[in-house]
Amino acid sequence: MAFLSLSTVSKYFGPKVGVEGISIDVNRGETVLLFGHNGSGKTTLLRLLATLTRPSEGTISLQGTEFSRDRPTQRGELGFVAHETYLYEQLTALENLRLHARLHGVDPNRCEAQLDAVGLTDRGNDPVSEFSHGMAKRLALARATLHDPALLLLDEPFTGLDEESLLRVTDQLRELEETTVVFATHDVDRGFRYADRVLVLDGGQLVRDIDTAQCPGPDAIKQQYVNAPRQS
Amino acid sequence: MIRQYLRVVRAIAAKDLLLEARGKRRANGAAVLALLIVVIFSFVFVRRVDEQAVIARGGLWIALVFATTLALSRGIAVEDDNAAIEGLMLAPVDRSAIYLGKVCSSAVFVTAIGWVTLVAVTVFLGTPFEPALLVQLALVFPLAAIGFSAAGVLLTALTLNSQVNESLLPVLLVPLVVPVILAGIELTSLAGGPFWLSEWFRILLVYDGTVIVTGWVSFEFVIEA
Repeated sequence: MAFLSLSTVSKYFGPKVGVEGISIDVNRGETVLLFGHNGSGKTTLLRLLATLTRPSEGTISLQGTEFSRDRPTQRGELGFVAHETYLYEQLTALENLRLHARLHGVDPNRCEAQLDAVGLTDRGNDPVSEFSHGMAKRLALARATLHDPALLLLDEPFTGLDEESLLRVTDQLRELEETTVVFATHDVDRGFRYADRVLVLDGGQLVRDIDTAQCPGPDAIKQQYVNAPRQS
Repeated sequence: MIRQYLRVVRAIAAKDLLLEARGKRRANGAAVLALLIVVIFSFVFVRRVDEQAVIARGGLWIALVFATTLALSRGIAVEDDNAAIEGLMLAPVDRSAIYLGKVCSSAVFVTAIGWVTLVAVTVFLGTPFEPALLVQLALVFPLAAIGFSAAGVLLTALTLNSQVNESLLPVLLVPLVVPVILAGIELTSLAGGPFWLSEWFRILLVYDGTVIVTGWVSFEFVIEA
């Protein structure tokens, strides 16, 4: 049984296609890179996996159990770092983490350790409004991994980060050996280093499922898809 | 499961009150608006209308409803920043917990606005409120606040992704809370008998119950839209 299973999942926004007919199985502990042009459906797919939006058609199952409004506890298995940080600017870093600890029924004493893991130990009592983009993103990663999710979803985790922040984030990702990670990025070179599989999306459809062990490298993907014309 | 649900309700309400205590984004705007409405009432009506008590009741509730509308609109804006509401939506409990948490915090806030407005009415309209009436209002304000908040939180969630949120909310909210306004005005006077036996009090209770159940059932669908 696949850890995460999507069966002919489609999402439509009126006449516009978000994603269409996506069927994939992801094994536990796999790291999957979603790759595609802007508007190819990466963010929509991640939001579907995070249950922030529901599929128009098809089903998504986690550990054999279909996502449903009647089973909200399934969200305890999910962690999501989106484009936005989901943080309250007027609260301090620790207050933000403690809020999410309470939401997930996690011991709030874990928050200090989480801050430490993303290199923000000294900034715990500073309001998020004083944080740089990179610091806020690291704090968002601490928020998303606070409850040890089995499935971690990341939307453009490397965008807008300086070298120090990039190192912190990538170190964090390396430590998540047990966690199944699905992430979207335009940074194919960096993403390829962590991914076991690359799913190429175009026009909301899955056009390639590539095993990185069988692929010569990120340049092959870039050559084939970055410069390729988009589907409508 | 129920314990975790209640923990989420409490965490969201506490977070809202902490944000308000720290930023006072809502309190300042709502209090100033309530004060202005009462002051304008005093200029327009005090010397021209004989029944001061009627003016005071009307001024109190009109100021309260518009200050509440402003407060609710700003209350949801904080969830829009950094899409923070989606972080709440990831909590592993039924999403109605977000609704109940926000209704609780808004109700506390609206009750506080009610007392501030009452002081302003007493000062600017020169209408003293009897102690028995103050005791009555100690129950009426929170019940009215629950009604305003239950309807307001649902509507603000509905308009969260709308570009016209600020202007749309009063247009939708004020007609919807007319029963609360009417009941509030009627219950801001001593009728003689126990106020909790009056039909206006029953209307207020039934309204609160109906809107809370509607919001509780529909919030998940509203917020996902």
